[in-house]
Amino acid sequence: MDTKLITEITQWLKTTDLAEFCYEKDHNCIEIKTREALPEPAKFTCHLTAVTSPALGFYQSAAKGKSLPLKEGQAVKEGDSLGLVETLSQKHKITAPVSGTLRIISAEEGKPVEYGQPLFFIEP
Amino acid sequence: MSANVKITPFKKVLIANRGEIALRVIRTLKEMGIKSVAVYSEADRGSLHVRMADEAVCIGAAPSPMSYLNIDAVVTAAKMTGADAVHPGYGFLSENADFAEAVTKAGITFIGPTAHAISMLGVKSTAREIAVKGGVPITPGSDGVVGKNFREVAKKIGFPIMIKASLGGGGKGMRACFEEKDLERMMKTAQAEAKANFGDDRVYFEKLVLNPRHIEVQVAADNYGHAIAFAERDCSMQRRHQKLVEESPSPFVDADTRKKLQQAAVKLVKAAGYRGVGTVEFLMAQNKEFYFMEVNTRLQVEHPVTEAVCGYDLVKMQIRIAQGEPLCIGQDEAAVIRCHAIEHRINAEDSERNFTPCPGTIEEWIPAGGLGVRIDSHMYTGYTIPSYYDSLIAKLILTAPDREKLLARSRRALGEFKVGGVKTTIPFHQKIVNNPDFISGNMDTGLIERMLEAEKTDVKSEK
Repeated sequence: MDTKLITEITQWLKTTDLAEFCYEKDHNCIEIKTREALPEPAKFTCHLTAVTSPALGFYQSAAKGKSLPLKEGQAVKEGDSLGLVETLSQKHKITAPVSGTLRIISAEEGKPVEYGQPLFFIEP
Repeated sequence: MSANVKITPFKKVLIANRGEIALRVIRTLKEMGIKSVAVYSEADRGSLHVRMADEAVCIGAAPSPMSYLNIDAVVTAAKMTGADAVHPGYGFLSENADFAEAVTKAGITFIGPTAHAISMLGVKSTAREIAVKGGVPITPGSDGVVGKNFREVAKKIGFPIMIKASLGGGGKGMRACFEEKDLERMMKTAQAEAKANFGDDRVYFEKLVLNPRHIEVQVAADNYGHAIAFAERDCSMQRRHQKLVEESPSPFVDADTRKKLQQAAVKLVKAAGYRGVGTVEFLMAQNKEFYFMEVNTRLQVEHPVTEAVCGYDLVKMQIRIAQGEPLCIGQDEAAVIRCHAIEHRINAEDSERNFTPCPGTIEEWIPAGGLGVRIDSHMYTGYTIPSYYDSLIAKLILTAPDREKLLARSRRALGEFKVGGVKTTIPFHQKIVNNPDFISGNMDTGLIERMLEAEKTDVKSEK
């Protein structure tokens, strides 16, 4: 392989805005890609704080008799009750870890939840 | 079949365990057409038992007290998934009477003995009482704290004896006394040690069995008072009470002793009102006399050795007993020896460095294969062994028509078993199957320690 040629091509590539350059000799194949043609690297940021289930059990928004409906978009303060997860012998309280706006409620009344499953997303 | 037989077939079983034993149970459930539920901790999301089960639920954080040892979480999972039975595997909650109780209270069948049997056999003193009641030999001892008549008590037991602190444990406050003339002196030392370590100078005596073998008998008992015992397993190859190699039948046990062992095991099981599968452990002296040690009220790690020798699926037997079925075989069938079998416990440990656990990622996994080879493992290439649990990564079980052919097969299989990425105990197992004492079947519970000592001396003399 002609390393000198490779070095020269690399030097030349640097003077252009090309991102990829393929060259095949006998079948006369040239493939050139500009930077714009390259796929954008995935950029993903999430400003939401997830509130995950502290246990495997059944979700309840409030203790029996005390209904306190939570609505998406409402403001919550750090330490506010977000309901509880009930196991066979215990009740695990869920409280807001941060103050902010309740953006997503994925917890459903009386439904089973696994340990670590996201129940709410709060935008601080 | 008698009229009181009540069979409740299971539709779905939850396995309250992880690793190879969870896979082992799932495999049998599949063959029986029963749905399986896996439970897992956050550290086990990528584990094979989660993938292989029909359903899986995350029950807690990585440390076992928050997941696999969390009774409330496991029973909630069983209730939530509609399982009609729970299989505890070994370790974790398998010998926890409170767990068996909680499962039963939730209206779910516990695949194992009753909570009462677990708690009775789990306490050393009550287990010994049951053995005495059933006519099973126990290590002679003072049966309680010794008083001023200690000389007579010691003579009655016969030397050598072990002097143990009443509140002791972990080897502290223990003194071996080989001859009567040393008794007074040893007694004073042991009492002083007991006082210093535990604030109590009371001691008791136990017969010291020199160079004992660890011989255990697999048993199975149904709800209707029938019990059977299988050919013994020799588990003398242990390091700090951790078994490394188990084989069946024992090269040390003759047909006559074998029959006595099986009779003793059945007597004990019947005296305890035991049901399910279990193991009765004995200490065997060089004169082939044996003494009851303890009962493991669960399936054991080394159960495949017996499965190979007798030809029955012990997990299936266990599930069928829990469903209320009477035992499907009698003592004569259980006692059949079809072949010789051995199990090597392959751990992710560095045997060169005091068997320190080596969790990490399995970069290469080339298990042994071929005739007479069974591997029970939850490993795969790319799997990361979590550091939270035990270091067992595979059980290599080999079978052959006789012991000589078996050891040749062991050497061959260990040689082709390649694990990349983590250190394993495979090299140490290779040393075992090439050790002259082991080859001649002359092993006792101290052999591995002697092997390790000899290695150390070899290294020193090379320097």
